Amino acid sequence: MSQAGPGSTDAPRTVACRCRGASVELGIGPRSRCILDSVDLDLLEGELVSVLGRSGSGKTTLLRVLGGLLRPAAGSQVAFHGQPVDGPPQGVVFVFQNYAASLLPWRTVDKNVALGLEGRLPAEQLKTQVAEALETVGLADRARDYPWQLSGGMQQRVQLARALAMRPRGMLMDEPFGSLDAMTKASLQDQLQVVHQSTGATIAFVTHDIDEAVYLSDRILVLGGAPATVVHDIRVDLPRPRHQLATKELPEFLRLRRQVHNAVIGAG
Amino acid sequence: MRRAADGLRRVNVAGLLTMLALLGVWETAVRAASLQLTTLPPPSAVAARAGDLLLSGTLVADLLHTLQVTLLGWLLAGVIGVTLGLFLGLWRPAWRWSMASLELLRAVPPITLVPMALFVFGFSVRTELTLVVYASTWPVLVNTLEGARAVRPELRDVARTLRLSRWQTLRKVVLPAAAPSILVGLQLGLSLALVLAIVAELVGNPAGLGQGLVLAQLALRPEEMFVYFFTIGLLGIGLNAALRVLVARIPGTTPYGRRES
Repeated sequence: MSQAGPGSTDAPRTVACRCRGASVELGIGPRSRCILDSVDLDLLEGELVSVLGRSGSGKTTLLRVLGGLLRPAAGSQVAFHGQPVDGPPQGVVFVFQNYAASLLPWRTVDKNVALGLEGRLPAEQLKTQVAEALETVGLADRARDYPWQLSGGMQQRVQLARALAMRPRGMLMDEPFGSLDAMTKASLQDQLQVVHQSTGATIAFVTHDIDEAVYLSDRILVLGGAPATVVHDIRVDLPRPRHQLATKELPEFLRLRRQVHNAVIGAG
Repeated sequence: MRRAADGLRRVNVAGLLTMLALLGVWETAVRAASLQLTTLPPPSAVAARAGDLLLSGTLVADLLHTLQVTLLGWLLAGVIGVTLGLFLGLWRPAWRWSMASLELLRAVPPITLVPMALFVFGFSVRTELTLVVYASTWPVLVNTLEGARAVRPELRDVARTLRLSRWQTLRKVVLPAAAPSILVGLQLGLSLALVLAIVAELVGNPAGLGQGLVLAQLALRPEEMFVYFFTIGLLGIGLNAALRVLVARIPGTTPYGRRES
């Protein structure tokens, strides 16, 4: 069941995030619309799972439910490490697609990264954790800059660093690389791999990029239908660490790419 | 060094020359037609009278009174306006229940309140202060409210996922995000504070620059009226400039990151 994932051991892995019968209706009264219909899913500890689906299929909504930002309909059950999710759970961080709007423009890079730690850690430890997080994403030398002085890719790395500084057990990423150019995207994908390997965090990764999903994931969930449910659950057993060229030339990568593509198209 | 050079370059020479030219035209026009214009003094007479008033200390005393009431009223308005504005901006029910009344009250020009304030407080500094606080609270309140409501939802999500407390969210996210809007409100409020202080001194509270103006008129001293006229103008300019300098010194309100460059 768990031969492939990073940091996998022979022992069965525990469930980090459990979701049962999660339904979401948005809007009020006659104009309301059902977005998710009774979604079931389990994310194992340390697993990197991509959520794929066409635009408007409810991917972001599902992620917001898992992150406690959106309360699902009555009867839905969402839990993180056994604790029912009622608001953003401790140990779970979000990385948003719109990095420019998610950073505080009046704070320097290091102050942005420190936002979630202030008042919770002694000054020294806070400094260390911020410095480590910036080191991990390769922005140690830009700590005193303001977000507007950085490129888009760097700004998204600041957001990633802000998440990492919290030493999270779970990361929810909403199309984090969706608006970046291809080269920046590839380098951030590899950075994410490193982070995933070194922290062992459970990661749910929403994307509409099939190659990205296959390249990064241990497992791919395809959302489909209206209202949406999980229509496919595809294992990705590519060897790690993965490589932008070598991995993408493997026959298994190409096979998975085709399989996922058909799944997304067929999911409607 | 560089700052001094910048300061020199910022002086609007053309604008100053126009001002001097206007004063010159005024002076010569009054002198050329002095018989017909007994109520319009030449600038030289105004300047001479200003010197007298400065020496006697009345002008300074009047100026200090107006300055004090304006600043005190404006500070009170700032505290009331920001507090109420945040409350209404962040707590939806409060906004829904009070918005209609607020819109109605805001539509009433503050000067309309003069007779009522006089009726309640008489010819006193309380009348003046009440009018100043009332008038300058509005722009602060409205701009704070709108600034707080305009905080981007992404930033609210960030605050939630990082599990910031309500107080932390207010202090670290909402207030800085709304700060530019709040500062605009404070700036508008300061101009209004001065206007209402002068109005109150003209008709309500016998003190300050406004009263000086009225007394000069009653005593048929036109050059003294012009001294007060210009003093009030200079006070307005001074207050605005002081606020701008102050704002530039608050961290985070300068264009982000310019401080170090």
